[in-house]
Amino acid sequence: MVSFRELRQSPNFRFVMLTLPGALFLLIFLVLPLISILVFSFWRTESYQLIADWNIENYKTILGQKTYLTFMWRSLVMAVSVSLVCLIYAYPVAYLVAKRGGRYRLILVLLTAAPFFTGIILRVTAMQQILGPIGLLNMALQAFGFEPIQILMYSNVASAIGLVYLWIPFMVLAIYLSLLNFNFELLEVAYVNGAKPWRAFLEITWPLNWIGTAIGIVLVFIPTFAAFVTPRFLGGVNGALYGNILEHQFGATGTWALGSAMGVVLFFICLIFIMIIWRTINLQRSGYTGEEF
Amino acid sequence: MAAVSPKERVVVVTQSSLLVFLYIFLYFPIFFIIYVSFVDNTVWPFPPVFTWEWYERLWIMSDFHLGLLNSFLIGIGTGALSSIFAASAAIGLLKYQSRLRGLFAVLYLSPLFVAGILIGISSLMFHRNILGLPGNLTSAILANTTQALSFAFLVILAQLTRYDWRMDEAAMVFGARPARCFWEVTLPTIWPSVLGAFLVSFILAFNNLEVTFYNVGAIPTLPTIAWGTLRHGIEPELYSLAAVINGLVFFILIILFFLIRIGFVRLGYRGQ
Repeated sequence: MVSFRELRQSPNFRFVMLTLPGALFLLIFLVLPLISILVFSFWRTESYQLIADWNIENYKTILGQKTYLTFMWRSLVMAVSVSLVCLIYAYPVAYLVAKRGGRYRLILVLLTAAPFFTGIILRVTAMQQILGPIGLLNMALQAFGFEPIQILMYSNVASAIGLVYLWIPFMVLAIYLSLLNFNFELLEVAYVNGAKPWRAFLEITWPLNWIGTAIGIVLVFIPTFAAFVTPRFLGGVNGALYGNILEHQFGATGTWALGSAMGVVLFFICLIFIMIIWRTINLQRSGYTGEEF
Repeated sequence: MAAVSPKERVVVVTQSSLLVFLYIFLYFPIFFIIYVSFVDNTVWPFPPVFTWEWYERLWIMSDFHLGLLNSFLIGIGTGALSSIFAASAAIGLLKYQSRLRGLFAVLYLSPLFVAGILIGISSLMFHRNILGLPGNLTSAILANTTQALSFAFLVILAQLTRYDWRMDEAAMVFGARPARCFWEVTLPTIWPSVLGAFLVSFILAFNNLEVTFYNVGAIPTLPTIAWGTLRHGIEPELYSLAAVINGLVFFILIILFFLIRIGFVRLGYRGQ
């Protein structure tokens, strides 16, 4: 039998005492809520009340009706394109800052991250002030006698620009943090041995930084797939995405059970996406050495 | 820096232009909205006709003061909970080489991979139907802490990896108990990162919409006021509100930047 005194002094006990409070908090206030909407998704709602009447009607509605599938498809296309644009744009930028930022790289990268902290709603307001029908861009075009650009007003393109605007900081940060630990001298070795720059990039830089890049892609994909503020204010009449009808269930209609089921579907789509990305990660190819931190 | 070949120079110039354009893309809308908040002719503010009207209208807006107070309370509550949980977890994870630490690290980072609206609606359903907790500040703080905790954890973890745990061991060898060791050795060294984590989670919760909106009930906060106003079309009060919040956020970020610098120095970091 181990005495309490000995137990208190064991590193494992201290580890648990320090890490458990936050972990319990997350289990209660993150995991249990997610499980609870899974349960509620099999119930039904009647005049704003949840009724424990087990059924799968909610899922039949979401996965069987064309409207819901259309919204899901639109969100998927939006999330994939926004992630791609962010990836293609953020990579060279993060690369530049990590490789040549020198003593300024902390401030250079923090400058790309700073706007993230001003909050979604104000950033979307700012974007609407630029892209909207009476936004700066259109007013400027009119002032100089040009036709307004229809595609930038209340359209999916405007939504996509807004979403890139919101989430590109995550992509830059994720790739930057990965490149910080990347040994750029490996590239010199490749060049000396006759590799062309693009080949050195594809065979060294890209695979060795794929984990960080993949995390960036996931961190952009998820909030974009679930977006509801941006499409609402920039997307116009045909711009509603999955997040908008999800939000609707918890607003005026008060169909909690259907909304819960939509939340569960959202969760699983994101999970499937994470798993697909995870399968592309080859730890050995990424320079993983077995150390966790 | 090594000599740059002409070909490489083209690459660097391209990358630099992309970076500059990214800054313009990110900051121009923010500065433009601040500029517009000071002018009367908001639709096409050239040349500007300056006015304080939008600030006066914001000041007398019925919910503004209450919203500001509530956002502050949510920010402080979330910041305190997140930074305490995160500091404790980061110390535990780095100080004791437990086999379970991979699992705990994954759990602490998992909220980053759950969409904000999903945290919002699932907390709403759980708090209301299972805990019997109606939408109020407590409910909003609890829901916001899940996501903010991950960010706080990242901030502290990133800095603590430089911490030399032999300092703690030294204190313990000389007979300090863990608690005393924490207060007199660890905390005096790591406080900038803990305060940094507090500020990051404060800002996130202060500005949060999708989690707060579903959990705060009918109580106004600045983001929910902005959301409500924006639904009826863009109104000039939003410009002054945005300017005020952006000013606050950038003020906090400047403090944060210096905290990171102090943190580096305290943890024995002396440049590249």
